Amino acid sequence: MIVVKGTLKQRLGAWLLAAFSVLGTFLLIEAYTSAERAADRAYDSLLQAASLTIGEAVQWQGGQPVVEIPAAAFQMLATEQQERVFYTVVNSDGQSVTGNLDTAVLETLHHRASRQSEPVWSSLQYAGAPIRVYGRQLKSAGWESVEPLQIWVGHTLSGRESLTHDLFTKALIRFVVMVMLTGLLMLVAIRTALGPVRRLRQLIRQRKADDVTPLNAEVPAELYDMAETLNALFERQREGRNALLRFSADASHQLKTPLAGLQSTSELALQSNQPEDWRQALQTVHDSSARTSRLAGQLLSLSRLRHAEAGSKTQIDLSDLLRKTITEWADRDIAKHHDLGMAALPDAPIYIQGEPWSLHELIGNLIDNALRYTPAGSEITLGLPRQKDTVELRIQDNGPGVNPELLDRLHQPFERGGRQDTEGSGLGLAIVNSIAQRHQATFEIHSEPGHGLCVCIIFPILAEEA
Amino acid sequence: MKRWLWPYFSAPLVTLLLTASLLPSAALAQNKTTLEVDAALDLPVVAPLLAAFEQAHPEIEVSFQDRSTLEVDERARTASPAPDVIISSAMPWQMARVNDGLAQSLDSSAAREWPSWAKWRNEVFGFTFEPIVTVYRLDLARHMLPPQTHADLHTILNTHKDMLRGRVTTYSPSGSGIGYTLFQQDARYSPRFWDLVAALGAADVRLENSTQKMLEGLTDGRYWVGYNLLGSYAIQWARSHPELIVQIPQDYSLVMMRMAFIHRDAPNLEAARTFMNFLLSADGQQILAGETPLFSVLPDVVGPYTSQRLRDQVGERLYPIPIDASLLAFVDPMRRDVFMNRWRREIQILNP
Repeated sequence: MIVVKGTLKQRLGAWLLAAFSVLGTFLLIEAYTSAERAADRAYDSLLQAASLTIGEAVQWQGGQPVVEIPAAAFQMLATEQQERVFYTVVNSDGQSVTGNLDTAVLETLHHRASRQSEPVWSSLQYAGAPIRVYGRQLKSAGWESVEPLQIWVGHTLSGRESLTHDLFTKALIRFVVMVMLTGLLMLVAIRTALGPVRRLRQLIRQRKADDVTPLNAEVPAELYDMAETLNALFERQREGRNALLRFSADASHQLKTPLAGLQSTSELALQSNQPEDWRQALQTVHDSSARTSRLAGQLLSLSRLRHAEAGSKTQIDLSDLLRKTITEWADRDIAKHHDLGMAALPDAPIYIQGEPWSLHELIGNLIDNALRYTPAGSEITLGLPRQKDTVELRIQDNGPGVNPELLDRLHQPFERGGRQDTEGSGLGLAIVNSIAQRHQATFEIHSEPGHGLCVCIIFPILAEEA
Repeated sequence: MKRWLWPYFSAPLVTLLLTASLLPSAALAQNKTTLEVDAALDLPVVAPLLAAFEQAHPEIEVSFQDRSTLEVDERARTASPAPDVIISSAMPWQMARVNDGLAQSLDSSAAREWPSWAKWRNEVFGFTFEPIVTVYRLDLARHMLPPQTHADLHTILNTHKDMLRGRVTTYSPSGSGIGYTLFQQDARYSPRFWDLVAALGAADVRLENSTQKMLEGLTDGRYWVGYNLLGSYAIQWARSHPELIVQIPQDYSLVMMRMAFIHRDAPNLEAARTFMNFLLSADGQQILAGETPLFSVLPDVVGPYTSQRLRDQVGERLYPIPIDASLLAFVDPMRRDVFMNRWRREIQILNP
């Protein structure tokens, strides 16, 4: 039964989504931090420019710094975004010379800037808002030696935030467009990739019902296995069909021979005026039709075994069944000239899972087969040796045996092991084999010429919970 | 930040409560919100605006405190509870308070549509447009060509030094925040400003702390010419004093804007927003343009006092003092010291 479970598009889409979620998270985090860095660089340079402008305005009068703060410095600090601006000029004692930035917040920064001659950047909370400050030490040359000054400038962060936001939004839009394009490409790719599958389907659909020749198609490497499997399937179908044809042909042939005999016997009898001849002819007709009837019965049971659904299986005591069947056969006329015997059976019942009627048939066929293919007076022994979790149904005779080359073919229909001198139909072992397969049992034949034939059916034992 | 004393704000403290006369009913009065407005703005000048506001919003009662710029600034920083709305003509100080974070932004359509050159951070808004003018008596015109430009003023100070001695007046940079701001701005625009200061010093200039004082002196005949007066007051004054001529300088004319913001800790926030929105609305500006001499900022408002009409008359020579961070330079204590030192040096440089 074919159940539709999702589509390839959904699967690929889900994988793609998962990949993009993971990758996208990293990408977007990266995009955000780099946007922040870019915004910081842009606005930090304005702080530097403002600091330079203030530095230019520093003059010394009588050893005291005089700073006429240029208005342009505030414009730079405020930027287009109209930031709140903070600045202070600090002398070497840490005292503010001028400015609106409380020097108290610069306590440690002030020391840092004076120790290292590098400029100091810092982000801090001031007057109810986060601000970024930049401070540097200014050492100016002059006619009189002067103490170094520090210039600190800072502003609020709305410009940086809005620039970061802009840059990030652009990155986000690029990413979303990329995802959408990839999704589109994926749809096209799936369509293209599934092309060979579609062509293969077309090819299979176009085949005639009885066409079992191998596929002749160009497929991508990924589909090679599937095409190969299909070809193997076709091969098996072909074999099966051939076997079926051979079987029908053989069956027709087997049925035709006795019917032709019947025809010729009855013709001869019709030409004769002697009641004696009629009686003999009738006897021949009776025997021959009995054989034919048996043959037809076996053909029927073989085809039933091969095509019928497995019936309901029950728990069966194999040793009990074997005992009953042998008893039943021992009473028949056909067994009168043979020594039909039984090896010692285990005491405990041996349970297997199986269909009673077909197992009965199996044992019967084995016995019948042994009776027909061994000369009168031969010994036929059935046994049930037990292994750990298997049981072997074994039938051994001391007849002429079979040429080992033919052993592998004995289970095929109408195979008589090279013997034409029997009344056997050649279907016995084929039936046995079919029944064994229905029971997941193994079918084995051993023979050495002159030492008889041994047929073993190995059944799995049902766990002995009973 | 350093604190320093401003000895130069000296407008008289006028506290007037606009009350019963404007109330529609006594019942409503109980639910009224009292909006505290601290302003450096003469109440009589602005009264039509307040009356219109209370009529439009009867649920709000405006407590309008007319104070000096110094007091307004002081109260904005320290008063508790804080005033709701701060209005002042001391532009650099207003800007400094906004920079300190004492203002809160106003998010309304009126605020968004307000011209960007007249606001900062959507927190503080310049809502008037008052040209800075030169005022002279007709007496002066009889003796010399009246000054139309800053250069003209410099010329007559040199050519009629003796006639004008003691008859020239202007703001005291140390006594008036507005005067200080105007001179700083003058100095930014032209280095020849210091020549003018020297000439003023040579003419024994009389320094006053308010436009009102200068106008009174001009009307009295004590002064013949006044430099850097607030056009809004001067134009209104000249209407009833025909002996005075108001001259908008023809080379460049500064424009002062009164700046208003909502205090960060405003107790009546909603009322404060309503008031600010009214101030910036077409209706409010219409009253400024029609019933006060404060001039409307909005270009599409019609009336006798509009920035547009002023531009049409004076042309492109109007230079509003920009509302941006550069104003902060004027309140820098050291820059002020440097400026005042130079002023003191230049004012007496021509004296023997």
